[in-house]
Amino acid sequence: MMPADNSRRNYAALAVSIAVAAIFIYAGIDKIRDPLQFADSTAAFAILPAVLINLLALGLPPFEVACGVLLLAPRTRRVAALAVAAVTLMFFTALASALLRGLTLDCGCFGVGAPSRPRMWMELVLDAGLFSAALFVYLRSITRLSAPAS
Amino acid sequence: MSIVSPDSARLPQARSLGSQILRDLAVLVLLAIASLAAGLVMNRFSPSPLPIVYQAPEQRFDAELTTLVAAAPFKIAPAATVGLEEFRSAVESKSALILDARPSVFFGQGHVPGALNLARDDFAHDYRDLAGVLQDAHDKPIIVYCSGGECHDSRLVANALLSLGFGNVSVFTGGWDAWSAAGLPASTGSGR
Repeated sequence: MMPADNSRRNYAALAVSIAVAAIFIYAGIDKIRDPLQFADSTAAFAILPAVLINLLALGLPPFEVACGVLLLAPRTRRVAALAVAAVTLMFFTALASALLRGLTLDCGCFGVGAPSRPRMWMELVLDAGLFSAALFVYLRSITRLSAPAS
Repeated sequence: MSIVSPDSARLPQARSLGSQILRDLAVLVLLAIASLAAGLVMNRFSPSPLPIVYQAPEQRFDAELTTLVAAAPFKIAPAATVGLEEFRSAVESKSALILDARPSVFFGQGHVPGALNLARDDFAHDYRDLAGVLQDAHDKPIIVYCSGGECHDSRLVANALLSLGFGNVSVFTGGWDAWSAAGLPASTGSGR
Protein backbone atom coordinates (compact mmCIF):
# COMPACT_ATOMS: atom_id res chain seq x y z
CA MET A 1 0.00 0.00 0.00
CA MET A 2 1.29 3.45 -0.86
CA PRO A 3 2.12 5.58 2.22
CA ALA A 4 0.14 8.53 0.82
CA ASP A 5 -2.89 6.32 0.32
CA ASN A 6 -2.49 4.97 3.84
CA SER A 7 -2.29 8.46 5.29
CA ARG A 8 -5.38 9.52 3.37
CA ARG A 9 -7.30 6.58 4.84
CA ASN A 10 -6.13 7.49 8.31
CA TYR A 11 -7.45 11.02 7.87
CA ALA A 12 -10.70 9.63 6.50
CA ALA A 13 -11.06 7.35 9.54
CA LEU A 14 -10.39 10.32 11.84
CA ALA A 15 -12.98 12.50 10.06
CA VAL A 16 -15.57 9.71 10.16
CA SER A 17 -14.85 9.12 13.85
CA ILE A 18 -15.39 12.79 14.70
CA ALA A 19 -18.67 12.92 12.74
CA VAL A 20 -20.03 9.71 14.30
CA ALA A 21 -18.88 10.85 17.77
CA ALA A 22 -20.79 14.12 17.39
CA ILE A 23 -23.98 12.28 16.38
CA PHE A 24 -23.70 9.79 19.23
CA ILE A 25 -22.94 12.39 21.90
CA TYR A 26 -25.90 14.48 20.72
CA ALA A 27 -28.23 11.46 20.58
CA GLY A 28 -27.11 10.23 24.01
CA ILE A 29 -27.53 13.59 25.75
CA ASP A 30 -30.94 14.04 24.12
CA LYS A 31 -32.08 10.70 25.56
CA ILE A 32 -30.57 11.35 28.99
CA ARG A 33 -32.66 14.54 29.19
CA ASP A 34 -35.91 12.62 28.66
CA PRO A 35 -35.55 8.91 29.44
CA LEU A 36 -39.32 8.46 29.70
CA GLN A 37 -39.79 9.58 26.10
CA PHE A 38 -37.12 7.14 24.98
CA ALA A 39 -38.75 4.36 27.03
CA ASP A 40 -42.10 5.07 25.32
CA SER A 41 -40.39 5.01 21.90
CA THR A 42 -38.73 1.71 22.79
CA ALA A 43 -42.03 0.23 23.98
CA ALA A 44 -43.69 1.17 20.69
CA PHE A 45 -41.47 -1.35 18.88
CA ALA A 46 -43.20 -4.15 20.86
CA ILE A 47 -39.99 -6.17 20.95
CA LEU A 48 -38.75 -5.97 24.55
CA PRO A 49 -40.68 -7.07 27.66
CA ALA A 50 -41.66 -4.31 30.13
CA VAL A 51 -38.96 -5.38 32.56
CA LEU A 52 -36.18 -4.56 30.06
CA ILE A 53 -37.53 -1.34 28.51
CA ASN A 54 -36.60 1.07 31.29
CA LEU A 55 -33.22 -0.61 31.80
CA LEU A 56 -32.48 0.01 28.11
CA ALA A 57 -33.81 3.57 28.37
CA LEU A 58 -31.49 4.25 31.31
CA GLY A 59 -28.42 2.34 30.14
CA LEU A 60 -28.25 3.07 26.42
CA PRO A 61 -27.93 6.89 26.56
CA PRO A 62 -24.77 6.89 28.77
CA PHE A 63 -23.43 4.11 26.53
CA GLU A 64 -23.93 6.31 23.46
CA VAL A 65 -22.22 9.28 25.10
CA ALA A 66 -19.34 7.02 26.18
CA CYS A 67 -19.03 5.68 22.63
CA GLY A 68 -18.89 9.23 21.26
CA VAL A 69 -16.24 10.35 23.74
CA LEU A 70 -14.14 7.18 23.32
CA LEU A 71 -14.26 7.55 19.52
CA LEU A 72 -12.38 10.82 19.87
CA ALA A 73 -9.38 9.26 21.64
CA PRO A 74 -6.99 7.25 19.41
CA ARG A 75 -6.35 4.60 22.08
CA THR A 76 -10.05 3.80 22.59
CA ARG A 77 -11.31 4.46 19.07
CA ARG A 78 -11.27 0.80 18.03
CA VAL A 79 -13.54 -0.46 20.83
CA ALA A 80 -15.81 2.59 20.51
CA ALA A 81 -16.21 1.93 16.79
CA LEU A 82 -17.21 -1.66 17.53
CA ALA A 83 -19.72 -0.39 20.12
CA VAL A 84 -21.22 2.08 17.62
CA ALA A 85 -21.49 -0.71 15.05
CA ALA A 86 -23.31 -2.89 17.60
CA VAL A 87 -25.75 -0.12 18.60
CA THR A 88 -26.55 0.94 15.04
CA LEU A 89 -27.02 -2.71 14.04
CA MET A 90 -29.49 -3.04 16.94
CA PHE A 91 -31.38 0.12 15.85
CA PHE A 92 -31.36 -1.06 12.22
CA THR A 93 -32.75 -4.49 13.12
CA ALA A 94 -35.47 -3.02 15.36
CA LEU A 95 -36.49 -0.45 12.73
CA ALA A 96 -36.50 -2.98 9.88
CA SER A 97 -38.63 -5.33 11.98
CA ALA A 98 -41.09 -2.50 12.79
CA LEU A 99 -41.32 -1.51 9.12
CA LEU A 100 -41.93 -5.13 8.10
CA ARG A 101 -44.68 -5.44 10.72
CA GLY A 102 -46.38 -2.32 9.35
CA LEU A 103 -45.84 -0.24 12.50
CA THR A 104 -45.67 3.54 12.34
CA LEU A 105 -43.65 4.90 15.24
CA ASP A 106 -41.08 7.39 16.40
CA CYS A 107 -37.77 5.52 16.47
CA GLY A 108 -36.35 7.76 19.20
CA CYS A 109 -32.91 6.81 17.88
CA PHE A 110 -31.66 10.33 17.20
CA GLY A 111 -34.06 12.68 18.94
CA VAL A 112 -37.81 12.89 19.37
CA GLY A 113 -40.22 13.29 16.46
CA ALA A 114 -43.73 12.48 15.37
CA PRO A 115 -44.36 8.85 14.39
CA SER A 116 -43.88 8.63 10.63
CA ARG A 117 -42.93 5.87 8.20
CA PRO A 118 -40.88 8.14 5.87
CA ARG A 119 -38.88 9.23 8.93
CA MET A 120 -38.41 5.56 9.90
CA TRP A 121 -36.99 4.83 6.44
CA MET A 122 -34.67 7.84 6.75
CA GLU A 123 -33.43 6.64 10.12
CA LEU A 124 -32.94 3.15 8.70
CA VAL A 125 -30.67 4.64 6.03
CA LEU A 126 -28.88 6.73 8.67
CA ASP A 127 -28.33 3.62 10.78
CA ALA A 128 -26.94 1.77 7.78
CA GLY A 129 -24.59 4.69 7.09
CA LEU A 130 -23.44 4.89 10.71
CA PHE A 131 -22.93 1.12 10.83
CA SER A 132 -20.78 1.25 7.69
CA ALA A 133 -18.80 4.20 9.04
CA ALA A 134 -18.19 2.49 12.39
CA LEU A 135 -17.20 -0.74 10.67
CA PHE A 136 -14.76 1.19 8.46
CA VAL A 137 -13.14 2.82 11.52
CA TYR A 138 -12.99 -0.51 13.37
CA LEU A 139 -11.50 -2.45 10.48
CA ARG A 140 -9.06 0.38 9.82
CA SER A 141 -7.94 0.34 13.48
CA ILE A 142 -7.64 -3.42 13.70
CA THR A 143 -5.78 -3.61 10.38
CA ARG A 144 -3.25 -1.05 11.62
CA LEU A 145 -2.89 -3.06 14.81
CA SER A 146 -2.16 -6.31 13.00
CA ALA A 147 0.02 -4.74 10.30
CA PRO A 148 3.79 -5.31 10.67
CA ALA A 149 5.58 -2.33 12.19
CA SER A 150 7.56 -0.38 9.59
CA MET B 1 20.10 -11.71 9.68
CA SER B 2 17.81 -10.13 12.23
CA ILE B 3 17.51 -11.10 15.86
CA VAL B 4 13.92 -11.64 17.11
CA SER B 5 13.48 -11.22 20.86
CA PRO B 6 10.90 -13.39 22.72
CA ASP B 7 8.96 -10.23 23.58
CA SER B 8 8.45 -9.35 19.95
CA ALA B 9 6.31 -12.46 19.59
CA ARG B 10 3.83 -10.86 21.97
CA LEU B 11 3.55 -7.67 19.97
CA PRO B 12 0.00 -6.73 18.87
CA GLN B 13 0.70 -7.47 15.24
CA ALA B 14 1.30 -11.10 16.18
CA ARG B 15 -2.12 -11.51 17.73
CA SER B 16 -4.74 -13.16 15.65
CA LEU B 17 -7.59 -11.02 14.39
CA GLY B 18 -10.15 -13.33 16.02
CA SER B 19 -8.75 -13.07 19.52
CA GLN B 20 -8.48 -9.28 19.19
CA ILE B 21 -12.17 -9.04 18.22
CA LEU B 22 -13.08 -11.23 21.20
CA ARG B 23 -11.11 -8.95 23.53
CA ASP B 24 -12.85 -5.92 22.04
CA LEU B 25 -16.23 -7.58 22.58
CA ALA B 26 -15.33 -8.24 26.22
CA VAL B 27 -14.46 -4.54 26.69
CA LEU B 28 -17.74 -3.69 24.99
CA VAL B 29 -19.68 -5.76 27.53
CA LEU B 30 -17.86 -4.04 30.40
CA LEU B 31 -18.66 -0.65 28.86
CA ALA B 32 -22.33 -1.63 28.60
CA ILE B 33 -22.43 -2.70 32.27
CA ALA B 34 -20.71 0.53 33.37
CA SER B 35 -23.19 2.57 31.27
CA LEU B 36 -26.17 0.79 32.82
CA ALA B 37 -24.75 1.44 36.30
CA ALA B 38 -24.27 5.13 35.41
CA GLY B 39 -27.83 5.30 34.06
CA LEU B 40 -29.26 3.75 37.23
CA VAL B 41 -27.31 6.17 39.44
CA MET B 42 -28.50 9.18 37.41
CA ASN B 43 -32.06 7.86 37.62
CA ARG B 44 -31.74 7.48 41.40
CA PHE B 45 -31.02 11.21 41.75
CA SER B 46 -33.43 12.36 39.02
CA PRO B 47 -36.37 14.56 40.14
CA SER B 48 -38.73 12.19 38.28
CA PRO B 49 -37.06 8.75 38.32
CA LEU B 50 -38.29 5.94 36.11
CA PRO B 51 -39.51 2.77 37.84
CA ILE B 52 -37.43 -0.30 37.04
CA VAL B 53 -40.34 -1.94 35.21
CA TYR B 54 -41.82 0.10 32.35
CA GLN B 55 -45.37 1.42 32.64
CA ALA B 56 -47.32 2.30 29.49
CA PRO B 57 -48.78 5.85 29.27
CA GLU B 58 -52.27 4.46 30.08
CA GLN B 59 -50.93 2.75 33.21
CA ARG B 60 -49.17 5.95 34.27
CA PHE B 61 -52.37 7.95 33.75
CA ASP B 62 -54.36 5.43 35.79
CA ALA B 63 -51.79 5.60 38.59
CA GLU B 64 -51.89 9.40 38.48
CA LEU B 65 -55.70 9.42 38.61
CA THR B 66 -55.69 6.94 41.48
CA THR B 67 -53.26 9.15 43.38
CA LEU B 68 -55.56 12.12 42.86
CA VAL B 69 -58.35 10.46 44.85
CA ALA B 70 -56.12 8.83 47.44
CA ALA B 71 -55.58 11.89 49.67
CA ALA B 72 -56.26 11.54 53.36
CA PRO B 73 -59.56 13.25 54.34
CA PHE B 74 -57.82 15.96 56.39
CA LYS B 75 -55.78 16.92 53.33
CA ILE B 76 -58.80 17.50 51.09
CA ALA B 77 -59.10 21.11 50.01
CA PRO B 78 -62.53 22.58 50.63
CA ALA B 79 -64.60 22.48 47.41
CA ALA B 80 -67.63 24.69 46.74
CA THR B 81 -70.85 23.19 48.02
CA VAL B 82 -74.53 23.36 47.03
CA GLY B 83 -77.66 22.73 49.09
CA LEU B 84 -80.59 20.45 48.33
CA GLU B 85 -82.75 23.05 46.58
CA GLU B 86 -79.96 24.22 44.31
CA PHE B 87 -79.03 20.63 43.55
CA ARG B 88 -82.64 19.66 42.81
CA SER B 89 -83.00 22.62 40.49
CA ALA B 90 -79.83 21.65 38.61
CA VAL B 91 -81.05 18.03 38.29
CA GLU B 92 -84.48 19.02 37.02
CA SER B 93 -83.23 21.66 34.58
CA LYS B 94 -80.29 19.44 33.51
CA SER B 95 -78.11 22.53 33.75
CA ALA B 96 -75.27 20.62 35.41
CA LEU B 97 -73.53 17.30 34.97
CA ILE B 98 -74.38 15.21 38.04
CA LEU B 99 -71.77 12.69 39.20
CA ASP B 100 -72.27 9.99 41.81
CA ALA B 101 -68.98 9.21 43.59
CA ARG B 102 -70.24 6.13 45.46
CA PRO B 103 -69.15 2.58 44.56
CA SER B 104 -71.01 1.15 41.56
CA VAL B 105 -72.98 -1.34 43.66
CA PHE B 106 -74.70 1.49 45.60
CA PHE B 107 -75.15 3.50 42.41
CA GLY B 108 -76.94 0.50 40.86
CA GLN B 109 -79.32 0.21 43.83
CA GLY B 110 -80.48 3.81 43.48
CA HIS B 111 -79.16 7.17 42.27
CA VAL B 112 -80.27 10.67 41.31
CA PRO B 113 -81.95 10.62 37.85
CA GLY B 114 -79.50 11.54 35.10
CA ALA B 115 -76.43 11.07 37.33
CA LEU B 116 -73.36 9.25 36.04
CA ASN B 117 -71.22 7.00 38.22
CA LEU B 118 -67.68 8.30 38.71
CA ALA B 119 -66.84 6.14 41.71
CA ARG B 120 -64.01 7.27 43.95
CA ASP B 121 -62.87 3.67 44.51
CA ASP B 122 -62.63 2.98 40.75
CA PHE B 123 -61.84 6.52 39.66
CA ALA B 124 -59.25 5.77 36.95
CA HIS B 125 -61.47 3.20 35.22
CA ASP B 126 -64.65 5.28 35.43
CA TYR B 127 -62.85 8.47 34.41
CA ARG B 128 -61.61 6.81 31.22
CA ASP B 129 -65.09 5.40 30.55
CA LEU B 130 -66.64 8.85 30.94
CA ALA B 131 -63.84 10.77 29.22
CA GLY B 132 -66.05 11.75 26.26
CA VAL B 133 -68.97 12.96 28.42
CA LEU B 134 -66.65 14.82 30.76
CA GLN B 135 -64.85 16.49 27.90
CA ASP B 136 -68.18 17.62 26.41
CA ALA B 137 -69.15 19.02 29.81
CA HIS B 138 -65.84 20.78 30.38
CA ASP B 139 -67.38 24.25 30.64
CA LYS B 140 -70.61 23.08 32.25
CA PRO B 141 -71.16 23.06 36.04
CA ILE B 142 -70.43 19.68 37.59
CA ILE B 143 -71.98 18.60 40.89
CA VAL B 144 -70.67 15.57 42.72
CA TYR B 145 -72.40 13.71 45.52
CA CYS B 146 -71.83 10.60 47.61
CA SER B 147 -73.80 9.03 50.46
CA GLY B 148 -74.05 12.23 52.45
CA GLY B 149 -73.19 13.07 56.02
CA GLU B 150 -69.53 12.34 56.67
CA CYS B 151 -68.71 10.76 53.30
CA HIS B 152 -65.52 12.05 51.65
CA ASP B 153 -65.83 10.45 48.21
CA SER B 154 -67.62 13.42 46.60
CA ARG B 155 -65.00 15.91 47.85
CA LEU B 156 -62.13 13.66 46.69
CA VAL B 157 -63.66 13.26 43.24
CA ALA B 158 -64.49 16.99 43.01
CA ASN B 159 -60.91 17.94 43.90
CA ALA B 160 -59.52 15.39 41.45
CA LEU B 161 -61.66 16.94 38.69
CA LEU B 162 -60.47 20.42 39.66
CA SER B 163 -56.87 19.15 39.44
CA LEU B 164 -57.64 17.77 35.98
CA GLY B 165 -58.67 21.20 34.78
CA PHE B 166 -62.45 21.22 35.24
CA GLY B 167 -63.23 24.73 36.41
CA ASN B 168 -66.77 24.59 37.80
CA VAL B 169 -67.05 21.67 40.20
CA SER B 170 -69.04 21.64 43.43
CA VAL B 171 -70.24 19.13 45.98
CA PHE B 172 -73.79 18.37 47.10
CA THR B 173 -72.99 17.64 50.73
CA GLY B 174 -76.44 16.24 51.58
CA GLY B 175 -75.72 13.39 49.20
CA TRP B 176 -77.91 10.41 48.46
CA ASP B 177 -79.24 10.34 52.03
CA ALA B 178 -80.69 13.88 51.80
CA TRP B 179 -82.06 13.26 48.28
CA SER B 180 -83.86 10.04 49.18
CA ALA B 181 -85.03 11.38 52.59
CA ALA B 182 -86.76 14.22 50.73
CA GLY B 183 -88.72 11.64 48.74
CA LEU B 184 -87.31 12.81 45.44
CA PRO B 185 -87.32 10.49 42.38
CA ALA B 186 -84.61 7.89 41.96
CA SER B 187 -83.22 5.75 39.16
CA THR B 188 -81.72 2.30 39.43
CA GLY B 189 -79.28 0.28 37.33
CA SER B 190 -75.85 1.05 35.97
CA GLY B 191 -77.10 4.06 34.02
CA ARG B 192 -74.84 3.19 31.06
